[in-house]
Amino acid sequence: MSNSSFPVPMLHSTIRIMAPFLLAALGGLFTELAGMLNIALEGLMLIGAFFSVVFAAATGSLFLGIVLGIAASVAAAYVFGFISLNLRANVFITGLATNLFAEGITVVLAFQIFGNKGVIRFENLARLPVLSIPSLQRIPVLGDILVGHNVLVYVSWIMVVVAAIIIYKTPFGLRIRGTGSNPGAVEAIGLSPKRYRMYAILISGFTCGLAGAILSLQMGAFVPGITAGRGWIALVAIYLGNKTPLGIFIACMVFGFAESFSNYAQGAIDVPADFILSFPYIITVIAMIGFSIVQHYRLKGSDT
Amino acid sequence: MAYLQMHGITKLYPASGVLANDAVDLSVEENEIHAVIGENGAGKSTLMKLLYGLEQPDAGEIHFRGKHVAIRDPLAANRLGIGMVHQHFKLVPDFTVAENVVLGMEPRKQGLFIDRQSAVKDVTKVIEEHGFSIDPKQKAKDLTVGQMQQVEIVKMLYRNAELLILDEPTSVLTEQEIESLFATLGNLLSRGKTIILITHKLDEVTHMSHRVTVMRGGKVVAVRNTSDVDKRELSRLMVGKDILLQVNRGPTTYGDTVLEMKEISIRCRGQERPLLDRIDLQVRSGELVGIAGVGGNGLAEIEDVIGGLRGATQGSMFLNGVDVTSFSSEQLREAGLAYVPADRLHRGASLPSTVRENCIVTKHHDFLRAGVLQRRDVREFTRHLIDQFSIAASEGMPAGNLSGGNIQKMILARELSGQSNFILFSEPTWGLDIASSQFVYEKMLELRERGAGVLLISSNLDEILGLADTILVLYRGRVVGRLENTDTLSKEIIGEYMLGLRDDSHGPHETNQTEVRRG
Repeated sequence: MSNSSFPVPMLHSTIRIMAPFLLAALGGLFTELAGMLNIALEGLMLIGAFFSVVFAAATGSLFLGIVLGIAASVAAAYVFGFISLNLRANVFITGLATNLFAEGITVVLAFQIFGNKGVIRFENLARLPVLSIPSLQRIPVLGDILVGHNVLVYVSWIMVVVAAIIIYKTPFGLRIRGTGSNPGAVEAIGLSPKRYRMYAILISGFTCGLAGAILSLQMGAFVPGITAGRGWIALVAIYLGNKTPLGIFIACMVFGFAESFSNYAQGAIDVPADFILSFPYIITVIAMIGFSIVQHYRLKGSDT
Repeated sequence: MAYLQMHGITKLYPASGVLANDAVDLSVEENEIHAVIGENGAGKSTLMKLLYGLEQPDAGEIHFRGKHVAIRDPLAANRLGIGMVHQHFKLVPDFTVAENVVLGMEPRKQGLFIDRQSAVKDVTKVIEEHGFSIDPKQKAKDLTVGQMQQVEIVKMLYRNAELLILDEPTSVLTEQEIESLFATLGNLLSRGKTIILITHKLDEVTHMSHRVTVMRGGKVVAVRNTSDVDKRELSRLMVGKDILLQVNRGPTTYGDTVLEMKEISIRCRGQERPLLDRIDLQVRSGELVGIAGVGGNGLAEIEDVIGGLRGATQGSMFLNGVDVTSFSSEQLREAGLAYVPADRLHRGASLPSTVRENCIVTKHHDFLRAGVLQRRDVREFTRHLIDQFSIAASEGMPAGNLSGGNIQKMILARELSGQSNFILFSEPTWGLDIASSQFVYEKMLELRERGAGVLLISSNLDEILGLADTILVLYRGRVVGRLENTDTLSKEIIGEYMLGLRDDSHGPHETNQTEVRRG
């Protein structure tokens, strides 16, 4: 691998890798703005990953697989929301429970259906369609990086714009933000903060389901724990992105790059593989520390 | 029929057993300012919550503009044309004024998006029509308190409210802001609106209202034309006749000073008027000092300072001769403070914890052996307190399962078990039934006879008059009256001090000057 071409494939895969982070974080942004710490992103993604690939294989349709995978994730989100909001359980505990449930149910079902607790390959599964626009691809460097990904990558970009419009341009978004900032104000005008929180949770179910579908469908396989902490990193991306869609997009790009780098750096650099594999997580910790330092000074600044 | 007619409104809060509204009638005419006055706990706020649909009455009917109406929630109230300006503002700090106003009734374009331009335009129109001084594009968090209140009023006008309920609107305002609020009310009146003004400030009633309904103890005691009454009569109606407590307050001799406050003040940044203004206070052993006042005039702040929960910005405090001004609540307790707080459910007790844990929490060190609580000692101690104070509870029960009266008995048992020579009681019988109140009174007098110094902070004048040797009255953070409790002292007189009609301190500045001259 020559030195000059090394960064391009690495950046190309950055774009591919960041898509699930981005979708999960955008969903989590809605719950965050509605005033809830949604730690269930990881579990909802996992459920989406499992059911989308299983249904895609069973129906022979990628599209149906994705739709049913999202449906499963939204259903799990509803249960999570119902227990947290209507039964008033602690949202951290129910989020944790959702994650543990997702981890368990996917393996149990995999074993029941396929008799296998490990990696389940679906050999006949169609690949996710790839968008290739030759005219754009001819643009040097940028064309190689941005074009030629599967369609869901581009869907995730569209979702950034859609999320921004919903949050900032619609009455629904105004009410979601009002709910998080002062639920009492929303209640005083006769709206139900609980209802808007439920909507936010269902939205996070939708985007996490799609995020999970990308993970499993691009591999054509389900691996137990396929999400590997991506839901948690998405949660960090929400804060790092300063709770805005564009900020989240940039934060997810950083995390996508970190993972891509660690994939390429294995073998290329003479550093223990364990260290390289932990690179995305180290980046997360450093980013979080940096973010809180910046926040600290910003608060101090506005105080005086 | 009147514009608004509330008839036979009754509301019982089952959790506390308080009958907040007892067959209340309220009749408001179109285009008048109708004041509803009463002391804290008289039932004014409850009545308004029922009118605005925040709560549902147990009995009674509401007729509005000639129609029998059921008001299920604030949206229903808004649809009828009823709007409420809450005492504590309900604004989203990060939203602009316009966003706060339109929230929930956003103007739309293409059916999907907020039409920001017409939102700003509509809000500007309301603001200009009524002469408010707010910018629709400013963030709510950057507004002054008076401006926030304007936003709340604009919010209701934007919703086409014809009847506006203002719940103690001046309690957080400065003098200038009060003036401009009064101007606003006049303007609203000239535009045909009807206003219900909830307050316990007599100045506002006589200045602003056409008619006044006086409430006491959940009932309506009088309805008057404002022009026909003076402040003294209103104050008499508010506090009612003297009720003699069934207690025997024998003579005691005063000993050494146990608690002393010297010129204690609390000032908040950005607020003109101090919350406490140079309070001098002395409690001697064998003396029961009562502090009276309407809520919001400094009673809670005095409680907080003595309890160590809030530092004074000026002045000093001594407990048994020790300077305790900067002590934490833990240090104060070590220095001999016993304290029965007004907020017994949160500050006085831990409801999920057991009676046992609640009883030993202030002295759990005494039950340690090698760092481990001695279960048997703890049980024995708790059982002893349960017997002695006849608390209807078992020691292992969570305190939250007890009735209000028994929770208070449990707190008393704990606080009095330490044999402190100074005990602070704040609103000790609020919400208690007669038997439990009687029990509390007897305990207080027992302490006094034992030679302890007792400080009673209470907005209940009957108990102040029945129990205290010396009475201090607070008004706007100042001691306006310092009275010996003799036979000639009556509730009416204290009431006049409480409502600012009498003032022995001659205002905040003059006291200062006399002291300067003396020095």
